[in-house]
Amino acid sequence: MGTIVTFDLYDEDEPSESVLSLLREAIDVLHQADDDFSTYKYDSPLSRLRRGDVTMAQCPADVGQVLELCNVARNITDGWFDPWSIPGGVDPTGYVKGWAAQRSLDVLRRSGIRGALVNAAGDTASFGGPHAGVPFRIGIVDPAATQHLACVVESPGAVATSGTYERGCHLIDPHTGRPASRAASATVTGSDLGLADAFATALAVAGLQALPLIEALDDFEALIIDDDGTFHTTAGFPAVRTGSKTSS
Amino acid sequence: MKRAHIVIAGTVVGLAGLLSFNSTAVNLSLGSLSAVTAPTRSTTTTTTTPATTTTSLPHSGGSTPPPTTTRVVPTTTATTTTTAAPSTARSATGAATNYSYGVLSVKVTVSGTKVTNVSIASIDDGGNPRSAYIDQASIPLLEQQALSAQSASIQGVSGASYTTAGFEQSLQSALSKLGL
Repeated sequence: MGTIVTFDLYDEDEPSESVLSLLREAIDVLHQADDDFSTYKYDSPLSRLRRGDVTMAQCPADVGQVLELCNVARNITDGWFDPWSIPGGVDPTGYVKGWAAQRSLDVLRRSGIRGALVNAAGDTASFGGPHAGVPFRIGIVDPAATQHLACVVESPGAVATSGTYERGCHLIDPHTGRPASRAASATVTGSDLGLADAFATALAVAGLQALPLIEALDDFEALIIDDDGTFHTTAGFPAVRTGSKTSS
Repeated sequence: MKRAHIVIAGTVVGLAGLLSFNSTAVNLSLGSLSAVTAPTRSTTTTTTTPATTTTSLPHSGGSTPPPTTTRVVPTTTATTTTTAAPSTARSATGAATNYSYGVLSVKVTVSGTKVTNVSIASIDDGGNPRSAYIDQASIPLLEQQALSAQSASIQGVSGASYTTAGFEQSLQSALSKLGL
């Protein structure tokens, strides 16, 4: 299976050579993240760290930084997001995908274009919008009918969704070490895709009991969709419309 | 408003690019986008629709199986071409492409350079129920996303991570056949 990352660039004109140069740099960020963090590459720094072949100090600085941020996410989520609880050794890839996409987007920010949207296999990071003063609108997949949208949100910069409807129950409950899922899907919006991704994973595992943890954060909002289709949101969730299955 | 839409799909065997921009045609090459994968193709067209670029790279995958080397990827050289597409509806079916659970091909219909429909032309998942489940869940979403890139009301879709490489490669192949 491959993971898809798409870049949408919005501006008055076709991308200039300098914008395309930044785009190449943004893509290199993804390559670098893959090189550093892939658990499928035997010699990636993360793989070597997991085997105990190297110490943290011998790894690229990004590895230490990512694990620190994972620890922040673990603390914020009361341990519901915990890369250290996964069988087989620390696995931060639930955070890395969003983190890398966010870093990649931040490269494009330097281009001065009107807006850009990076979509990393269903998690989006963006700045600007399709038109001046208009935010990007992101459809949230209906977990019960994945060809439909459950709702549409105005992106505050990051939108991450976690659920088991695409790849089966691959989420691990950190408190038991066993597969668990207490929501059909969980979406988190906010200012940073790495954290949004981690929080969405935590909510998908924990379900409603963890919603107050996100409510307590100024920069992040959340939507949980139950197996029966019920919506639960934090007070500031930026839905454009909710509650009905919207054909896309 | 110009929009450039770039897709990066995980694969280890090659890199395929397809680009189109609305308004006037521009020449560009994304041949150096990837240090990992050599073959590249970029096509630039004059169009009134969102632009699409497809490239490939391996992607971080603790939650994903490793890429295989069995996928079919267009292996054109790094060139840029410019075409003016006719405005009649045309269809093409992409090359049958291996994906994680079988083989699929994608059919794409365009009017001029606007993609009006994307569908699965054929899929063989070997009858594995698990594969069939994933196909059922994933394929409509991918079809929808290929089209929603042109939707006026939303600019993206957020959902659980999905499998995509085979779909994207066959889509790329179909678009290439149409000169887009």
